[in-house]
Amino acid sequence: MSHDQAVEIEGLRHYFNVRGSLVHAIDRIDMTIEAGQFVCLAGPSGCGKTTLLRLLAGFMRPSEGTITVGGERVRRPSAERGVVFQQPMLYPWLNVRKNVELGPKLRGVGAKERRAEAERYLTMVGLSDFGDRRPYELSGGMQQRCQIARVLTNDPDIVLMDEPFGALDALTRERLQNELLDIWRATGKTILFITHSVDEAVFLGSRVLVMSPRPGRVVLDEPALFSEPGEQIAAERIRAMPEYNRLRERVRQAIQETPTAAAATG
Amino acid sequence: MAQPVTTVTTSGPTPVAPPGAPRRGSGRGRSTSWLIRISVLVFTIVAWWLVTELKLIRPLYLPGPGAVWHAFVQANSDHQVAPGVNRIVRGAQNYYLWEHLVASLQRIAVGVGAAIVVGIPLGLMMSTVKWIGIVTEPYLNFLRSLPPLGYIGLLIVWFGIGDTSKIWLLFLAAFPPITMATISGVRGVREDQVNAVLSLGASRRQALTSVTIPATLPEVLNGIRVAVGFAWTTVVAAELNNGIPGIGGLAYLSGTQLQTPLTIACIIVIGVAAVALDGIIKLLETVLVPWRGKA
Repeated sequence: MSHDQAVEIEGLRHYFNVRGSLVHAIDRIDMTIEAGQFVCLAGPSGCGKTTLLRLLAGFMRPSEGTITVGGERVRRPSAERGVVFQQPMLYPWLNVRKNVELGPKLRGVGAKERRAEAERYLTMVGLSDFGDRRPYELSGGMQQRCQIARVLTNDPDIVLMDEPFGALDALTRERLQNELLDIWRATGKTILFITHSVDEAVFLGSRVLVMSPRPGRVVLDEPALFSEPGEQIAAERIRAMPEYNRLRERVRQAIQETPTAAAATG
Repeated sequence: MAQPVTTVTTSGPTPVAPPGAPRRGSGRGRSTSWLIRISVLVFTIVAWWLVTELKLIRPLYLPGPGAVWHAFVQANSDHQVAPGVNRIVRGAQNYYLWEHLVASLQRIAVGVGAAIVVGIPLGLMMSTVKWIGIVTEPYLNFLRSLPPLGYIGLLIVWFGIGDTSKIWLLFLAAFPPITMATISGVRGVREDQVNAVLSLGASRRQALTSVTIPATLPEVLNGIRVAVGFAWTTVVAAELNNGIPGIGGLAYLSGTQLQTPLTIACIIVIGVAAVALDGIIKLLETVLVPWRGKA
């Protein structure tokens, strides 16, 4: 893997104006994400992790600081930064296939070419038989797969995922986690994956970040067990490893500690 | 599943609902509700007939169903101007009843059509360009709350007594609901639905055409439904003056000439036509926005 810096965040702060008073959603974040990294960002709700993702996506401008992705300053949403939302933002007036090929279509890619791309990723997420269905005819897990296929078909430099498996049942969730790992290994995409689940963060990522709330900052930043997409170990074996459990414990503690104590150790 | 409606007539085999099948009104529930509706209709007509037959009310005030039917048939045929008089006249006011209806339908079609053509883009502009919304919204609310009867006189002065003023009136009555529905539709589009398409590389304009507008479609169709309803309630006002041919004009004129059976026949025709048109739009909704209420 190359180790170009995919994401550079400098002096990032973000405030919200809530009924006249400023709320520090993000206090100060400086970090870089290397190309091909699978970064999991964990933290309790309200710690600013979704805010960070939305800033990275370009849905809003930071109050202070800069975000650079692929050498370019983030100012607005862009096809370079694909976003997988927690609620699958599929369009009910389009069938599954047309949802998936929407990105290339907007760029003016020809019907044949974009259909082939869509078919490739629909197959990758196991939806090749469902192209003609409407999104609302699919289960929650299949909708989420469809959304992932739509983002991958658009071939972004980085995939931003906002608790994409948060609303799914445990079994579906585990299956999609494994599939996502396979996809990461196959495509080598840079991924920022937000979750409130310690287990998910430790299992999925090549690097784990923990954010603490009010004010939101990063309190833990560690490499996970497998930092390269090439390594492939069965999920059950990963979960049985002592290193896995030790890292899990550290992440859990980082989340549980108070913001001030965490800042001292982090 | 056991709605009170279905339990009324539980004879015969117990209905075993196939899994997942009984959504709104399974076959049995629907036929039961139709049965009830038709019974109520029959009961109403019988009660109406009884009241008039027993001479409880003077026929001038409430003619019986037979008289109304007779007026309806006469209005659709060439008939003697009066019993025993040989002069034959055509329908009512020299037009058949259905011609009156068609004339009104045409006005409504043109008025509502213009309201759609103007109302949707206006609503889109008002909801996406902030200052346009700020400037125009008070006027829209003002116009929306005006009773059409209040300004038909002004429209006649401006556009003459012919069809133009009538169509203007129907247009003015029909476009505010469409514009309002478009605005509320655009405001109801989830921010992340737009963000999602922007993250796929869409320009602002592409986001508007490929997400905002289709996402607004269910509300717009609903607005058109409301507008057509409005147009029907306005059609009598539009046809008060020089409204022949026109079903609203005929209803009004026959009333002033004390032909109450014809008035009631007109009212029934207006009501049935309005309900039928509403049904067609509803059907259009299921075809055009099958996702409504599902996503």
